[in-house]
Amino acid sequence: TFALEAAATEWNVSVWGKRRAFTEHVEKLAELVAEKTGGEFTMNVSYGGLSKNRENLDGISIGAFEMAQFCAGYHADKNRVVTVLELPFLGVENLDQEVAVARAVYAHPAATEEMAQWNAKLLMTSPMPQYNLVGTGEPRDELAEFEGMRVRATGGLGKAFEAVGGVPTSVTATEAYQAMEGGVVDTVAFAQHAHLSFGTINQADWWTANLNPGTVNCPVVVNIDAYESLSDEHRAALDSSIPEAIDHYLANYAELLQRWDSVLEEKGVQKVEVAPEVIAEFQSVAGKPIHDAWIADMEAQGLPGQELYDLVVKTLAEAKGGS
Amino acid sequence: MAGSAAVLEDSSLLSRLDRALLPLERFCALLSGLAIFSLMFLAAYSVTGRKFFASPMAGYVDYIEAAMPIIAIMGVSYVQRDGTHVRMDMLVSALKGRVLWFFELVSVLLILVLIVALTWGAYEHFDRSFDCARPLCSRDSSIDIGLPIWPSKLVVPIAFAILTLRLLLQAWGYGRALVLGLENPVAVPMNLSVAEQARLEAEALEGND
Amino acid sequence: MEPIDIGLWVSGGLLVFVLLGMRVAFAAGLAGFVGLVWLRWNGFDYDPARFWKAVEISVKVAGLTPHSKVSAQVLSLIPVFILIGYLAYYAKLTTALFVAAKRWIAWVPGGLAVSTVFATAGFAAVSGASVATAAVFARIAIPEMLKIGYNKAFAAGVVAAGGTLASLIPPSAILVIYAIIVEQDVGKLLLAGFIPGAFSAIVYAGLIIGIAMVFKTVGPPVGGFTWRERFESLPPALPIFAVVIIIIFFVYNPFGDAWGTPTEGGAIGAFIIFLMALYRGMRWAELKRALLDTAKLTVMIFTIIWGVLIYVRFLGFAELPAAFSDWITSLEMSPMLILICILLGYAVLGMFMDAIGMLLLTLPVVYPAVMALNGGEYVSAADSAFGMSGPMCAIWFGILVVKMAEFCLITPPIGLNCFVVAGVRDDLTVQDVFKGVTPFFIADAATIAMLVAFPGIVLWLPSLAG
Ligand code: NA
Ligand code: NA
Repeated sequence: TFALEAAATEWNVSVWGKRRAFTEHVEKLAELVAEKTGGEFTMNVSYGGLSKNRENLDGISIGAFEMAQFCAGYHADKNRVVTVLELPFLGVENLDQEVAVARAVYAHPAATEEMAQWNAKLLMTSPMPQYNLVGTGEPRDELAEFEGMRVRATGGLGKAFEAVGGVPTSVTATEAYQAMEGGVVDTVAFAQHAHLSFGTINQADWWTANLNPGTVNCPVVVNIDAYESLSDEHRAALDSSIPEAIDHYLANYAELLQRWDSVLEEKGVQKVEVAPEVIAEFQSVAGKPIHDAWIADMEAQGLPGQELYDLVVKTLAEAKGGS
Repeated sequence: MAGSAAVLEDSSLLSRLDRALLPLERFCALLSGLAIFSLMFLAAYSVTGRKFFASPMAGYVDYIEAAMPIIAIMGVSYVQRDGTHVRMDMLVSALKGRVLWFFELVSVLLILVLIVALTWGAYEHFDRSFDCARPLCSRDSSIDIGLPIWPSKLVVPIAFAILTLRLLLQAWGYGRALVLGLENPVAVPMNLSVAEQARLEAEALEGND
Repeated sequence: MEPIDIGLWVSGGLLVFVLLGMRVAFAAGLAGFVGLVWLRWNGFDYDPARFWKAVEISVKVAGLTPHSKVSAQVLSLIPVFILIGYLAYYAKLTTALFVAAKRWIAWVPGGLAVSTVFATAGFAAVSGASVATAAVFARIAIPEMLKIGYNKAFAAGVVAAGGTLASLIPPSAILVIYAIIVEQDVGKLLLAGFIPGAFSAIVYAGLIIGIAMVFKTVGPPVGGFTWRERFESLPPALPIFAVVIIIIFFVYNPFGDAWGTPTEGGAIGAFIIFLMALYRGMRWAELKRALLDTAKLTVMIFTIIWGVLIYVRFLGFAELPAAFSDWITSLEMSPMLILICILLGYAVLGMFMDAIGMLLLTLPVVYPAVMALNGGEYVSAADSAFGMSGPMCAIWFGILVVKMAEFCLITPPIGLNCFVVAGVRDDLTVQDVFKGVTPFFIADAATIAMLVAFPGIVLWLPSLAG
C-alpha cells in the first residue's frame, strides 16, 4: 500500500519583505500546484525566515530550500547573463514585453548554464515596470540636478545614474525607507508596488512619471535536484501552472497601476513630467554607451554578450509588433 | 556579562603552545579594533564630502559591509582564550575539581564540534564566491561598486580555524586537569565567581582617570 | 515527527546547555546546527544513507550565517557606540561630568547623590554599552559622598542604580540589537529611549531629594560654589554637549533635513571624543588598549548575534515562532495580562542571565507573539489591543524589555552592577550594596508600571519623527 501512494512533496520557498504584488505569482503558483495535486505537493512560502535575500541563490545551490526569488543587481557576478535585462533604456514599455524578453533570455543556453552552476533552474521572471524616482525637496527634472545625487538604484540603473553624475547608494529594498529618512539617499528608484510596500512613497515629495530609465530583473528559480526528483505528475502540475501564475501577477499589477494616481494624490506627491529633450539627453549618455560597455565586458569574460543583447532587441521588437 | 579571567602559565608544552597562539589572536583582535577605528574616519569623511562638498563617497555602504566580518568575527579566538564569551555560570561556579573539569571539557568539545562544522561551512561559502577563471576571481560582488566579496567571506573560515586551534588547546588543558585532578590548570580561563569577575573588571580600569 | 516538535526538543536542549554553563553564543549555534541536521534528516525519513547529505546541507546553511548576518551596514552602529564609551573614558569625561554636576546642582537636598545620578545620565549620553559606568563612578563619587557623612550602603546604591541609565539613553548598543532582531527603525528606537531614560534619572533624583528631606542617611546639600567655578567646570565637559547635539541631528533629524544616519552620527561623535582624548593625553598605548577592549566587547556581542541567528535560521525551518504566537493569541486572557506575565518572565530570567543574551535568545519567539497579541505587524492603532499601531508597539515593547533588562542589573541575586560597585570598594559587601539600592529598585518597578500604563511616555518622541 505504501508504494501505491504518491509521495507527498513539501517545498520551502524563500522570498523576502512581505506579501505584495512582487510575490503574487509565487503565492499563486503554490496555490495552483496544491490544487492540481490534491494537496500532495505543497509550497511553504517564507518571507525572510529561511535566508537573507542576497543569499537566496546560495541557499538554492546548497539545497537549503527548493525555490527562491532574487534580483540580478544584488550580486551581478553571481548571475552575469541575466543582467542584460537590467540594462538602462532598453525601451521596454509594459509588463507583457518584460515577460517576453525575460522568457527569451532565460531560455538562452548561456543563462541556463550559468544558473546550473548554482544548481538552479530559471522558472519565471517577476515582471516589473520602469523604476521611476521618488525624492524629497524640489523635483529633479534636469540632468544637471542628478550631479551628486545619492540614488538607491541597483545594477544597470545605478550605472545609468552614475553616467550623469549621480552616486548609486544601494541599500537593499527593506532598508530603503530608513535610508531615505536618515538621509543616506536623496532619491529612490523603485517600481510602484515597492514604493508602496517599502513606504518610500510616504517620504516622497515627487515622483517622475516618465523618466523610465529601466528596471531590474528578479527571477524565480528552483533547485535542479529537487525539480528533477519530482514525480511526473507533480512536475507537470508545476510546469503547467507557470503561465497561469504569471497571468495572475499581471492582472494584479494592472490593478495596482490603476490605483497609482489616486495614491499619489492621497499622499500629496507631485507627479513630475520630465521634458522629452532631457530624457533624450539622459539616454544618449546612459543608453548606448552602457550597452556597449556591457557587451564588451561580457565578451571579454567569454560570454556571448552580443548575442544576448541582440536577442533582447529582437524579442522586444517582435513583442512590440505583436501587441 | 562575564568579564575576562586570568589564564595561568608555566613551562609545560601546553602552556608554551598557549602563549605561542596568543600573539596571533591578539593581532586578529587588534585588526578588528583598527577596522572599527577606520569606520569612524570613513563616516566622518563620507559625511563631510556629502554635506559640504556635494560629492558623496561612492560605495560607502559596500566598504562598511566588507569590513563588518573583520570587526565582528576576526577576534573570536582572542575572546575565547580568556573566557570573555558570555555564559550563565550559576552552576559551574558552584563546582570544583574533577566534576568542574569534566563539565568544562564536555562544553569545549561540543563547541569544537560546532566550530569545525562552521569552519567547513564558512569555507564553502567563500568557495562559492571564488573562481579564478574570472576577473578578480570574483563570483559574487557587492551591490553598488561591484566589489568582490570573497576576501570578506574568507575572513570567517580563517578566524574559525584559529578558534579551532584554541579550542583544541583548551580541550587538552581541561582533559589534563581532569585526568591529573589538578587544582589550577594552565592554558584555560580560570573560573571566577561573579564577585571576583567584577573585581577584575574594576581593577582593569585602575589608574586611568 | 513534526518540525514543530523538533523545534521544541532542540529549544529545550538549548536551555539545558545554557543552564549547564556553555557559552551562550555557542550553545545557540550548536542547537541551531543540530536542529538543522535533525530537521533535514527527518525530511529524509531517517534514511541512514542520506544522513551525511543532511549534515552537509546543514553545515553549509549554518556556515554561511555568520558572514551573511554580520555584513549589514546597520550593525556597524554597535562597535561605534562601544568605541565612543571607551574613548570617553580616556578623555576623562567621567570626572569632568561629576565635577560639573557637583558645582551646578549639589546645593539641593541630597546634593552629591543627585549630582551622581545626573553625571551618570550625562555619561550615558556618550556611552553605548557602559558596563564600566558603575565601576568608574564608584571610584569618583562614593569617596566624596562618604567624606560628608553619607550612609555607605546608600552611596553605593546610588552609583549602582545610576549605572543602569546607559542602555536607555542613546547611544545604546542594546537598543540597536533589539531593532535589528525585530527589524524596526533604529533611529526611532534610539529616540524612544531618550524620555524613559531621562524620566528614570528624574525619578531617581526626586527619590533622593525626598529621602534626604526625611532621613539622615543622606548627606547635607553642598553649596558655596561661585559662578566662576561653575562656568570653569563646563569646558572639560563640553564634548558631551557636542556629542549630544550631533546625535540629535543625526538620529532625531529635528529640522527634517537629515545630516546622515545614526551610524555616521555615532562615528562623528566618536571622532570628537577621540580628539578630546588626544588632547587629554591619550597616546598609542592607551588607544591600543581602548581598541582592544572595544574589539573584545564587539566580538563578544557579535558572537552571540550570529550564534543565536543560526538557531533562528533553524527556527524558521521549524516554524516555531508562528506556532508560539498562535498559541499566545489563542489564550483566554486579556492581552495586557499576558504582556505583564511576559515582562515578569523577563524579570526572573534577567536575574540569572546577561541582558544581551537574554534578549537575543527570547525575542525571535516572544516578539512575534507580542506583535500578534497587539493585532499583527501592520495593525492600525484603532484596531489594536494595546491602542497603538504595529511599529509603535514594536518600539514600546523594545523599551519595556530593555528597561526590564536594566532593572535586573540591580536585582538580587546576580545584579551585576551591585557586584561591580562592591568589587571596587574594599569597605563594601555585596549585601551592603543590595540594601542601599532597594529604594531605587522600588522606584524602577514603579517606572516600569508607568511605562506600561502610559505608553505615551515612550512613543511621543518617535511619533513626532513621523
Ligand atoms: Na547610552
Ligand atoms: Na567589597
